[in-house]
Amino acid sequence: MSASEVLASLLLLTGGLFYLAGTVGLLRFPDVYSRLHALTKADNLGLLLVCSGLSLLAGTWRAAALLATIWLLGLLAATVSAHLIARHARAHDAAGDKR
Amino acid sequence: MNLAVDMLIGAGLLVLAWQTISGRSLFRGIVLFVVFGLTMALAWARMGAPDLALAEAAIGAGVTGALMLVAFRRLVRIRPDQCAQPALRRSRLAVPVAVLAGGLVGVIGLAVVAVERDPALAGLAVTEALTDSGLGNPITGVLLLYRNLDTLLEVAVLLAAFLAARTVFGEDESRPPTPARREVPLVGALLAIIVPLTILIATHLLLAGSREPGGAFQAGAVLAASGVLLVLAGRLQPATALSAGPAFGLTLGLMLFSLVGLAVMAFGDPLLALPGLWAVYLIETAMMLSIAMTLVLLFAGASGLRRSGP
Repeated sequence: MSASEVLASLLLLTGGLFYLAGTVGLLRFPDVYSRLHALTKADNLGLLLVCSGLSLLAGTWRAAALLATIWLLGLLAATVSAHLIARHARAHDAAGDKR
Repeated sequence: MNLAVDMLIGAGLLVLAWQTISGRSLFRGIVLFVVFGLTMALAWARMGAPDLALAEAAIGAGVTGALMLVAFRRLVRIRPDQCAQPALRRSRLAVPVAVLAGGLVGVIGLAVVAVERDPALAGLAVTEALTDSGLGNPITGVLLLYRNLDTLLEVAVLLAAFLAARTVFGEDESRPPTPARREVPLVGALLAIIVPLTILIATHLLLAGSREPGGAFQAGAVLAASGVLLVLAGRLQPATALSAGPAFGLTLGLMLFSLVGLAVMAFGDPLLALPGLWAVYLIETAMMLSIAMTLVLLFAGASGLRRSGP
């Protein structure tokens, strides 16, 4: 196993751990806001680590650029959807609805 | 390791399928159906069928999921009592039918495994013939050169589905017009990035479809996704009247395919024998636009669309 493979495995494993932490947060945290916090923050970092690991394994600049684009798109989608969900939840809170 | 991943996906599919139809609520069932579609796409990719994986992820999970969610939202408004009920009431016949079907699949599967296989001559002949046509992707080749009538009828079925859905759009007249929401600034930024990117990806899928995984159906579904986003953000408003633009888009694929298919007869070729690679690209483009237009209109539940906002 070469040095880059070891590094890639480490990155992939750490990324998996972040995903696990995000999912545990989603299941265990008490309200919408903290769940969103856990999910988007941990998963975005997890995706970055997984993408870095995969680009190391692929070993080409083309694959690395594609994976970086995927990460950026993931960031964008996560940011906007988290923002919209939080906004919706807050509007309902203000209206006195029970969730 | 690979076997473990495959078995995990297979077992996951079975559990998801069971949970989808036996779920406690309709909404849960819809969400699980989308997860099922994505897992199925993973399974297709593992089996070396990237075309099917793309189609399953874009159409099976994405567009169908969006259609079911929009149907659910309408159901909440017109029949609130039905939403709380479990998704499915089980019939007494369910278990015997499932056991029989499972047994049949098992017997056929065992028979297929036991039979000594002949080399797939048709497949070999097709791949050989396709190298002459310039179409490197055998799936697109088979769809447009050998099973072109099937492909034409698939486009016709999509149009028929839209016309059938259109007959019930009118029953929902009481629905309030989409409120003029103040647009969230982030959504505008998202649209400004995502919509051009989706058009780029759809074009790539369409052009790549002749050589590698892709094609009109996948490209159309991706294009439809950006239309769905625009409808959701309120940039496109549903309209009740069928205007010229959407009507043209809806029928373009069917019309162009039929026209080219008929025109070749004037040159003594058989019906639907496509005259070359340019015809394939032309028809695929028209089909992509029609598929996208049909899916967006189905999602909006309207016969037309009009622009609004900035």
